[in-house]
Amino acid sequence: MPGNTVSSSRDRRPVFLNLAQIALPVGALASIAHRVAGVLLAIGIPLGVYALDLSLQGPQGFARMAAALEGLPSRAAVVVMAWALAHHLLAGVRHLLMDIDVGSRLPEARRSAWMVNAAGLAVALLAAVTAW
Amino acid sequence: MRLSIFRFDPDRDERPYMQDFEIELAPTDRMLLDVILRIRTLDDSLAVRKSCREGVCGSDAMNINGRNGLACVTPVAGLAEPVVLRPLPGFPVIRDLVVDMTRFFAQYDSIKPYLQNDEPPTGKERLQSPRDRARLDGLYECILCACCTSQCPSYWWNPEKFVGPAGLLQACRFIVDSRDRATAQRLDDLDDAYRLFRCRTIMNCTEVCPKGLAPSRAIEAIRSAMTRRPR
Repeated sequence: MPGNTVSSSRDRRPVFLNLAQIALPVGALASIAHRVAGVLLAIGIPLGVYALDLSLQGPQGFARMAAALEGLPSRAAVVVMAWALAHHLLAGVRHLLMDIDVGSRLPEARRSAWMVNAAGLAVALLAAVTAW
Repeated sequence: MRLSIFRFDPDRDERPYMQDFEIELAPTDRMLLDVILRIRTLDDSLAVRKSCREGVCGSDAMNINGRNGLACVTPVAGLAEPVVLRPLPGFPVIRDLVVDMTRFFAQYDSIKPYLQNDEPPTGKERLQSPRDRARLDGLYECILCACCTSQCPSYWWNPEKFVGPAGLLQACRFIVDSRDRATAQRLDDLDDAYRLFRCRTIMNCTEVCPKGLAPSRAIEAIRSAMTRRPR
């Protein structure tokens, strides 16, 4: 039935949206990382506050937290959280500046996106060096 | 030149596939569209829209090596091979490189893209000072090719609710027009978590605009007009 063919082909219209095949300019990378960092912070900050609280409950609590942060996974988590905090903060400041018309032209926006991406990684590197 | 082109014929194909082509460049092949049109002489089943072939009509917008652009103003020289051609991201594919732009134009229509002025006609043109006219520069040149909107992640996830960079650039064009009298209604209409504020200033739009326009700056101008108006 030709009528059916038309409607079914309309329903089957594919959409090309493979993010691995679409170029992501540096601003898009900064933006995705901003969002990922935000999710990590939403999860990590309550855990961090809990850890801080525990470590402040006398020498025993401190020793327990220090022991918990000994292993490789927890150190890696600290490094990731340091990156998330730095990237989210800097990317947020970048957007605040753009809102008052500072650096919102494309060349400056590209440059600031590079700087935010690099600075976030630099903080993570620093955290890694400190953690080990 | 080697090319890899997205193919999909709804009457024949279950799913899209990539087809490779190899074509000897002729001295007249300056722009990508020249090459595509010669491929069509070899395989006339390849569907592509084109009209003015000089970056004015905006028909031949497509994803070229991952970035949206107009094939007719994309120089062949400097393209990495194989040149990968896909339809505009996020738009339903009708066939091959031809996409359904219904939603895109519905968003454009929603910003009322025409001058609104209920004052009695003066009997001649509604005049503008050269300064007021200059405020339209960088806005009126948009050809609605959809390169920007189709490269915008905010639009990918909310094509029904977010106007998208092209529609917002056009909205700005009427908001700043000294002859338009509907500025307040236009700002009210856009003052919405999705219609305007779904923009996350990623700036992919400005990265890819083949006319060198800056939709992200237009969006910023609308936001700024909202904060400056009396409540």
